[in-house]
Amino acid sequence: MNASSDMSFFTLIVGASLPVQLVMLILIITSLFSWWYIFIKVATIKRAERDAEDFENTFWTGGDLNKLYDGIAANRRKPQGMASIFEAGFKEYARHKQQVRMEVSDVMEGARRAMRATFNREMDELDAHLPFLASVGSVSPYIGLFGTVWGIMNAFRGLSNVAQATLSQVAPGIAEALVATAIGLFAAIPAVIAYNRFASSVDRLSVRYESFMEEFTNILQRKS
Amino acid sequence: MLRQRENSDSFKAGALSISVHVVLLGVLLISFNWKTTHPVSIANVELWDSLPAVAVQKPLPIPEPVEQPKPVVKEDVKPESVIEPEPKTQVDIVIKKKPIEKPAVKEKPKELKKPDALAELQKALMQDELKKPQKKPSDDALKKLQQESLSEDKAEGDQKNLAAKAAANAGTIGEFTNKIKAKIRGNVNKTLCGEGNPELKFEIGLLPTGELTGNPKLVKSSGNAACDDAVERAIRASEPLPVPTEASLFSQFRNLKLTFRPND
Repeated sequence: MNASSDMSFFTLIVGASLPVQLVMLILIITSLFSWWYIFIKVATIKRAERDAEDFENTFWTGGDLNKLYDGIAANRRKPQGMASIFEAGFKEYARHKQQVRMEVSDVMEGARRAMRATFNREMDELDAHLPFLASVGSVSPYIGLFGTVWGIMNAFRGLSNVAQATLSQVAPGIAEALVATAIGLFAAIPAVIAYNRFASSVDRLSVRYESFMEEFTNILQRKS
Repeated sequence: MLRQRENSDSFKAGALSISVHVVLLGVLLISFNWKTTHPVSIANVELWDSLPAVAVQKPLPIPEPVEQPKPVVKEDVKPESVIEPEPKTQVDIVIKKKPIEKPAVKEKPKELKKPDALAELQKALMQDELKKPQKKPSDDALKKLQQESLSEDKAEGDQKNLAAKAAANAGTIGEFTNKIKAKIRGNVNKTLCGEGNPELKFEIGLLPTGELTGNPKLVKSSGNAACDDAVERAIRASEPLPVPTEASLFSQFRNLKLTFRPND
């Protein structure tokens, strides 16, 4: 045995067997994607929260709803979050209001349905990529473990030809194999943390949207 | 893959994602000492011209070897001076031969002289040969005598020194042997040696660092292979063994026979 065995990160990866290398590759790609989605979600959820804050501020200052609707509809950007729910609900309400024969309850029901549909669409947007993060968080440790088990199997198979087993004969193989678990955990831990954080943020946003829907319905009912 | 409203963030997020990985890889490479260097135990090698006993001998018997070799050396010189003429005669023969052979090819009448010259040369050679065996044995005998006298001196010196030193060293040697045995004994799995009082002998080679030079050799088995293995493992596990740092003492430990009674 040489006195100083090169155990650098790259030799550990290059020296691993092909299945272990494939596992490492899959895990690194997964990790890259999960981090990509994490950053995207951080940005989108932050923006949704800021938008909801802004909209609630302008909505509850007590301005004219028609003016607010016009302002949102005139905006070049497609309304998002709470603004889009308000737009859908008010548009439906105004449309029904033009038809004189409609009952108040039917008008309210129509506006509610329109808001519900937009709410579902918004929730779908907010929930995007969360299942991916959940899968990465739960599965990538197993993938890494698979690579490790495979590597350790190889390491011990090499030991079978030797009469006198020493730790130095298995140690490099096991070190190589454990790199797979390390990469798996590296992919999984941020994904799990991000998933939990995003799930709670999305829940809070959905509660905010729903309560806004109820309050807005009340306001519309009072108007009609 | 991506929702429409997420497109604006995608490049920024991608760059951040890659940078996170690069940073983590950098941290890994810097913080970890991936190059594992096993502590190389340096074996000290002592180069000796002679056996350590001779080196120890010097202080006491200086006068004796100095006195005796002198006459021997003088005797040596004389035969050498006698031998010197030999090469000269041989060279003469070579020189004589050449002029004789050349004329033999060119001029026929001189051929008659050749046998005479050859006979003379043969005589001269015979005389040389006679001289050689006479002188050489005398040289050899002298050398032998000289060596014998020297070796006798050494032996006498050795005996005197060993007698003196052994008395002083016997204690330390015994002490170190006991230390070695005690260290090995502590590592023996006694349960493998079963009941009774098995005795086994191992022969081990040691380096000045206290490490084994090779595999411990089983000289006398206890009759129980598991017990033998247990003791051998214990010997290996006990490296480095305690050895004296003094070179002269250590010579006793180069090859060491150890007797074990694991159940004592």
